Amino acid sequence: MSAGGSEGTADRTADPAAEEKGQASQAGPSLPAVELPRKRKGVVEEKSDTHVQQSIDFQMEDELSRSEAEDQQVKMKCFREPHRQIEKRRRDKMNNLIDELSAMIPACQPMARKLDKLTVLRKAVQHLKALKGTSGAFSDTTYKPSILPHDDLRHLLLRAADSFLLVVSCDRAKILFISESVSKILNFSRLELTGQSLFDFIHPKDINKVKEQLSSSELFPRQRLIDAATGAQVPADTPVRVSHLSTGARRSFFCRMKHSRVTGKHEDKRSLPSTSKKKDTYRYCTLHCTGYMRSWPSSQLDSEGDAEKEPSNLTCLVMVCRLHPHVSHHPSKDINVKPTEFVTRCAIDGKFIYVDQQATTVIGFLPQEVLGTSCYEYFHQDDLQHLAEKHRQVLRNKEKIETQCYKFKTKYGSYVSLQSQWFSFTNPWTKEVEFIVSLNRVISGPGHTKDEEEAGGSKALQEDIKQIPVIPGLSSGLGPMIYAGSIGTQIANELIDSYRMNSSPSSGSSSPFGTAQEKCPLVSPKTSRSASSREDTAGSSSQSQSDSKTTAGGAASGSTGEPSQLDLDNMVVPGLSSFSNDEAAMAVIMSLLETDVNMGQSGDFEDLHWPF
Amino acid sequence: MTADKEKRRAISREAARRRRRVESDVFGDLSQLLPLQPSVRANLDKPSVIRLTLSYIRMHTLLKGSAGLKAQTSHTVRYGQVLEGGEERQMHDGGRDKEEKGTEEVEVSEETNMYLRIMEGFLMVLSTEGDMIYLSDNVSKYMGLTQAELMGHNIFEFTHPCDHEEIRNNLRLTAEQVWSGAKRDFVMRIKSALTHRGRSANLKSATWKVLHCQGRAKVCVTPSSVSCLLLTCQPLPLSHTLLSTHTFTSQHSMDMRFTYCDQRVTLLLGYSPQELLGRSIYDLCHTLDIKCLTKNHLNLCLKSQSVSGQYRMLVRGGGYVWVESHSAVIPSVKPSKSRPGAHQPLCILCVTYVLSGVEEPSLQLSLDQTLNRYLS
Repeated sequence: MSAGGSEGTADRTADPAAEEKGQASQAGPSLPAVELPRKRKGVVEEKSDTHVQQSIDFQMEDELSRSEAEDQQVKMKCFREPHRQIEKRRRDKMNNLIDELSAMIPACQPMARKLDKLTVLRKAVQHLKALKGTSGAFSDTTYKPSILPHDDLRHLLLRAADSFLLVVSCDRAKILFISESVSKILNFSRLELTGQSLFDFIHPKDINKVKEQLSSSELFPRQRLIDAATGAQVPADTPVRVSHLSTGARRSFFCRMKHSRVTGKHEDKRSLPSTSKKKDTYRYCTLHCTGYMRSWPSSQLDSEGDAEKEPSNLTCLVMVCRLHPHVSHHPSKDINVKPTEFVTRCAIDGKFIYVDQQATTVIGFLPQEVLGTSCYEYFHQDDLQHLAEKHRQVLRNKEKIETQCYKFKTKYGSYVSLQSQWFSFTNPWTKEVEFIVSLNRVISGPGHTKDEEEAGGSKALQEDIKQIPVIPGLSSGLGPMIYAGSIGTQIANELIDSYRMNSSPSSGSSSPFGTAQEKCPLVSPKTSRSASSREDTAGSSSQSQSDSKTTAGGAASGSTGEPSQLDLDNMVVPGLSSFSNDEAAMAVIMSLLETDVNMGQSGDFEDLHWPF
Repeated sequence: MTADKEKRRAISREAARRRRRVESDVFGDLSQLLPLQPSVRANLDKPSVIRLTLSYIRMHTLLKGSAGLKAQTSHTVRYGQVLEGGEERQMHDGGRDKEEKGTEEVEVSEETNMYLRIMEGFLMVLSTEGDMIYLSDNVSKYMGLTQAELMGHNIFEFTHPCDHEEIRNNLRLTAEQVWSGAKRDFVMRIKSALTHRGRSANLKSATWKVLHCQGRAKVCVTPSSVSCLLLTCQPLPLSHTLLSTHTFTSQHSMDMRFTYCDQRVTLLLGYSPQELLGRSIYDLCHTLDIKCLTKNHLNLCLKSQSVSGQYRMLVRGGGYVWVESHSAVIPSVKPSKSRPGAHQPLCILCVTYVLSGVEEPSLQLSLDQTLNRYLS
């Protein structure tokens, strides 16, 4: 009210101001100041309190625009400047409204030039008269007029809410009244339902629930009032309970009601929701029912002429049953939820030790299916190089490392584009990296169609197979996995060795062997699964010497001569400086022989996958 | 010179006065034509008159279009019931006298009033730009401002700025969505000029009220394609009537870990309340419903109240049930008078309604279920 009122007042004053002064207000300081109060007095319809409101506004505007105001005239100017701003705003608003109005009125449409205010208003009057002529005589009913006829309001309500009004008696759950709209929702006509027992239409499992709700005993409902006192976010006012009905006990519950499959006369059959459970060839839809208990003297109700109705009060539940959508409808860019992200943790050799539940929606695997496997098995071949590099980096740095976009293989063979942030967690006491945390984000971009990914995936697979020489005892399908898994192992071992290097006094920050490592191909044809599994059980940070040694040896063996030599040098596990290089070399060769033997056992390959 | 000037000024002043008088008369005519209660009509200022006229015309256009369509598919004719759409009624009302019509109208209006009362909300019709073309008159109970004051204004003037993005997304309607009557369901904060005791105060001292808006798109074909959103807006209740089965309450820390749970959860889901403490609700629900939970959680953090929509909670040992949660953020400690300005620790209170029975009881959807099924 106040907003509207002050607008109006200023509006009136704005008009003469505009007409007399034009745009500039320099037409003598005294004149406008004198005129304004007089014109305000001349206005009959306005309420007097709007003056107060307006002056308060002016004062506020004063404060606000004092910095803008020029300091020539003393009070008058300071008064008029903000006043002009307000007036201008109101004029603009009014002009906008007039424009909107002219857009709405058909008579104003074909005009080439913009019509003036008065003409538009006059045409609006004519239009309204025309409208009222066609749509009935509600204008002069004795009943309460409303801007929208009740018919229309009801229609809109039903359309918006997909609901129907239901009145059931509490003693026998007889449907006393049901609104017409039920036919749209349950596909039963109103006549079919009125007078029936409600329980005939409720899902068998919900009958008890509904019975409880109908029990009109005031003892049952436990009102749980949530304390909405002065929390920071919750508004301070307690819920305004407007209970117009005499017995105000409120009911709110969900239940499933039958709906008929017979295709009715309705075109929007598909708007009916899917069912929760098919039972007895009926389909059910979930409804949210809210309402109040109400007592009526039975004579008022329009029963089917049941003469033996008790003269006592009839308690009913009056409720609105609203169709509950099966899935909540979210428009596409609903709220700024970040694109799907999930967290994974890997050991330093890249094997998953923890996978977020959300990952399943992205990669298709359940967490238990990937735990223990190396992340390299899922990376696309093209990305291996750069990811290995990042892997190295993250093990050596304390900050977060961002990877580029890379492809991750899903359960179904297709690839999904991810981009990750990695950082390592260091054990504060041993100062060794314990694991790597990866925050993975799904990147959806152009050209990432499923077909492309699949094609790319299968191509990569073939390439992988081609590169790796056939390993006896292994099926070719496992080739890339073996190939990939070792990368992580290799990198992990570099780290372990660097620890060892660092623990000795003369070591530098980065391993001098690092550069040499990059040259050596990461492929290690002879690496076996069992070797990796042994590594896994050993754990990257374990101190089990021989295991790590041998597996490390296994990983590095078979590569070109020189680097392997270097690798052997790095084979020594931290803290075991007593081992000489020769001994280490010996151990490696022994392990090679061992692994050769073990490769025959393909059973090991199954170990790492959960039996799902 | 100055006398001349004065004279000219006087003439123009007179002219202006005349123009204004004429204008006021036209405004008067316009407001007379609007179906308003006399008390409301007397208090209208010019912009309001225009706004209400606009609303009236727009609503008429909107409904006229659909009434035409309805006439073709109407099945209510057979029963001689009250018809939908004012125009249609005209066609079939030939023989009935005014009194009958009057009674019927009373019935219909009672029905709609009852709807609105039971629903505990108001109806809003929004244009695609966000103009509140129509509001049912009970809006004053929820916002403290009357229908006449609000109709025609833009919703962005009355809602929390942080929610504007979401509202805009919801208003975005493609042609296909409009024709299929796309549904909408979201939560937003709106200004409420109601005080503690339910009286209307100044808009300047308004507080935020959380509204749950549900509805669908509507289109009218003739004369020009106009589409809008029909929404029922219900303030989320802060009190719930609970009965003994099929609902349970729980309390959570702000990261949705259980800090308390009702005994009734055992009957419904199989877990004991102690088992649930400290566990996050995200671990206990079907993976595919994570989006729904996330949205709910976000709504809670931003708007302090939320309705979750349907999602699945995993039952101990296998299977799941469909549930819906109504939640609110509340101070976890009763605010003390001695430290009024202190930052209150907050927690989330949820009332969860179980909608279905246990579905697919042998289906294992989490490790937890397997462990519970076979190991305990």
